Amino acid sequence: MRILALLLLFLPVAAQADDHAQSVETIVNEHILPGFERFDSAATNLADTAADHCEPESEDLRAAWNEAFDAWLRISHLRFGPTETGDRGFALAFWPDTRGVTPKTLAKLIADGDPIAESPESYAEVSVAARGFYALEFLIYDPAISSAGDPVYHCTLIQTVTADIAEMARDMADEWNTVWAEQMLSPSADGLWHTDEEAARELFKALTTGLEFTADTRLGRPLGTFDRPRPARAEARRSGRSLRNVQQSLAALEDLALGFSLTDETLRASLESVFARSQKLAANLDDPVFAGVDQPQSRLRVEILQQSIGDIRDVVSQGVGPSLGIAAGFNSMDGD
Amino acid sequence: MNARRRFLAGMLAAGVIPKTGWASAGMPAWLAAAGTPEGGFVLCGITSAREIAFRIPIPARGHAAAAHPTKPHAVAFARRPGTFALVIDCATGEVRSRLASPPEHHFYGHGAFSADGSVLFTSENDYNWARGMIGVWDATDGYRRITAIESGGIGPHDIKRLPGTDTLVVANGGIETHPDSGRAKLNLATMQPNLSYIAEGQVTETVTLPRDLRLNSIRHLALSKTGTVAFGMQWEGAGHPRALVGLHKRGAAPVLCTAPEHVTREMQGYVGSIAMDKVGERIAVTSPRGGVIQTYDATTGNFVSSHTQTDACGIASNGTGFTVTDGTGGIARLGNGSDDRRRVDGLMWDNHLVPVGT
Repeated sequence: MRILALLLLFLPVAAQADDHAQSVETIVNEHILPGFERFDSAATNLADTAADHCEPESEDLRAAWNEAFDAWLRISHLRFGPTETGDRGFALAFWPDTRGVTPKTLAKLIADGDPIAESPESYAEVSVAARGFYALEFLIYDPAISSAGDPVYHCTLIQTVTADIAEMARDMADEWNTVWAEQMLSPSADGLWHTDEEAARELFKALTTGLEFTADTRLGRPLGTFDRPRPARAEARRSGRSLRNVQQSLAALEDLALGFSLTDETLRASLESVFARSQKLAANLDDPVFAGVDQPQSRLRVEILQQSIGDIRDVVSQGVGPSLGIAAGFNSMDGD
Repeated sequence: MNARRRFLAGMLAAGVIPKTGWASAGMPAWLAAAGTPEGGFVLCGITSAREIAFRIPIPARGHAAAAHPTKPHAVAFARRPGTFALVIDCATGEVRSRLASPPEHHFYGHGAFSADGSVLFTSENDYNWARGMIGVWDATDGYRRITAIESGGIGPHDIKRLPGTDTLVVANGGIETHPDSGRAKLNLATMQPNLSYIAEGQVTETVTLPRDLRLNSIRHLALSKTGTVAFGMQWEGAGHPRALVGLHKRGAAPVLCTAPEHVTREMQGYVGSIAMDKVGERIAVTSPRGGVIQTYDATTGNFVSSHTQTDACGIASNGTGFTVTDGTGGIARLGNGSDDRRRVDGLMWDNHLVPVGT
């Protein structure tokens, strides 16, 4: 697979200004706008469900939370525009939490019965660590936090966190529709993006950063090292979603990658093939929370999945980037 | 392979053994790490005439180096999260010692010597605790590890000593990383970079920027002889920040270097290296992402000029201005036009061009 990626290096570069405009148009209309709309409706459904079913063990609540989380993962890599306004991206997804701030903050709110949880408006002032999907996971699934304190307060907290998520989701979808789509589709000297190329570059960066996050953080953190595997660091393990999050994010990133206007059919085919291979490895993994990282056989399977994402990254940086005229210089893509 | 044999092997591979014997290799003005087309990595001495004085193979990608204040020695560091550093005799290109970071620490790629050269300080990550540390090494005793002190923040990167003192200034970039997850940033939600001054092992002053620049990672430093600290930043937020360069003098408020918005945008949110000219009047920053070099007035912070150079990153002062290295092998004198760009075929210069000697 590495050899394939290297061969792509030598493919002719066919970057045109209208390719950039075409890429941006496809991605905005077919990836971004539908993604934010789906997230808005899933988040609204979550808040509505929580209004009626706020007990942590409610199957309805859990199903709505999982659906909304899925919808978030389809757009979570788009870290620009409305997602970055007012720290929304951090508030929706405070992970990794390397210092355990989420459970600490929630435990304190619960112990104090802090009235700040009474409305989503006041809750927006709470630390981002106690907002969003990962805080909700603790409130619903963590054995200690889901049962801590006064059940009435706990119910309020779940309803407020879900309403806060729904509010952010609605605002982001609105802002994409009213302001940001236009900004991206019609770059101008007064806009956030001055040229189609800048807008395309932003989308390309979302793709490379998203792949890095899934390979290095979602898989790298639980893998740890061979001598010191860290299964307890798996993302969303309390709800059994660690692997699912990898699958959802890969699906989202593939959808984004294939939105780029790639004139070279071979490149397109190799992109599809590397994503398909990762998805197949993930589907066959049979280890939803990467609990097997501390056993050599099962660990190897997680490592192979991680390496397969490395192959996707190679095709993206050495094939897609150059074909978009985004060169990966020795220093320019380095980040140091 | 021992150090000398490794060095000789590198010289043979590079075909640069001087006819009169390798000991006569010209004294370099700068050190720079580089990548080779075969996927290997080297450390080079570069003379003021922009010739390669020596070339040493290194086990992985390098980053920056620290020059000894009196002896012709420099310590070259692995790029983060690397764990090796090499003490180089710049007169000969010989590797005199090798340093390894202690267990559960890695180097960030920068270091500085005490005023008398007896102690080396290295920026490090105590990664299981996400603590920024400064490693302290005895340069008079084979670079024995003495201790480590806290850097005053997360992710210390560049570290320099204020001229004429033993006060260190550290760019705590604020970004938490862990080798298990490569170079992925783990704490953007809470990151808070700062500039810390450290004297006798204690943080004596900490400088932070306004809240809207919380995601501006303070990474690289350049100092004037009078103690002005210029710092270059890397933006982790969306869009473009209002500044990527700043100035600070101890006890005073930081000054942001301002430029028209379209000029700041050219940098694409990223300063790769920063340098101060010999007289302390001008600072220059590179952006390999934007392929630009910009200069600013070192007193007022006002923007002065912008220059283009593909994948430009390493920069250092020369007699009259700045010399810039790039990822395509170029070594250029700033402002002299593209004709002046000397290219070393087959080398991709890495992030920094480090002045050595006097």
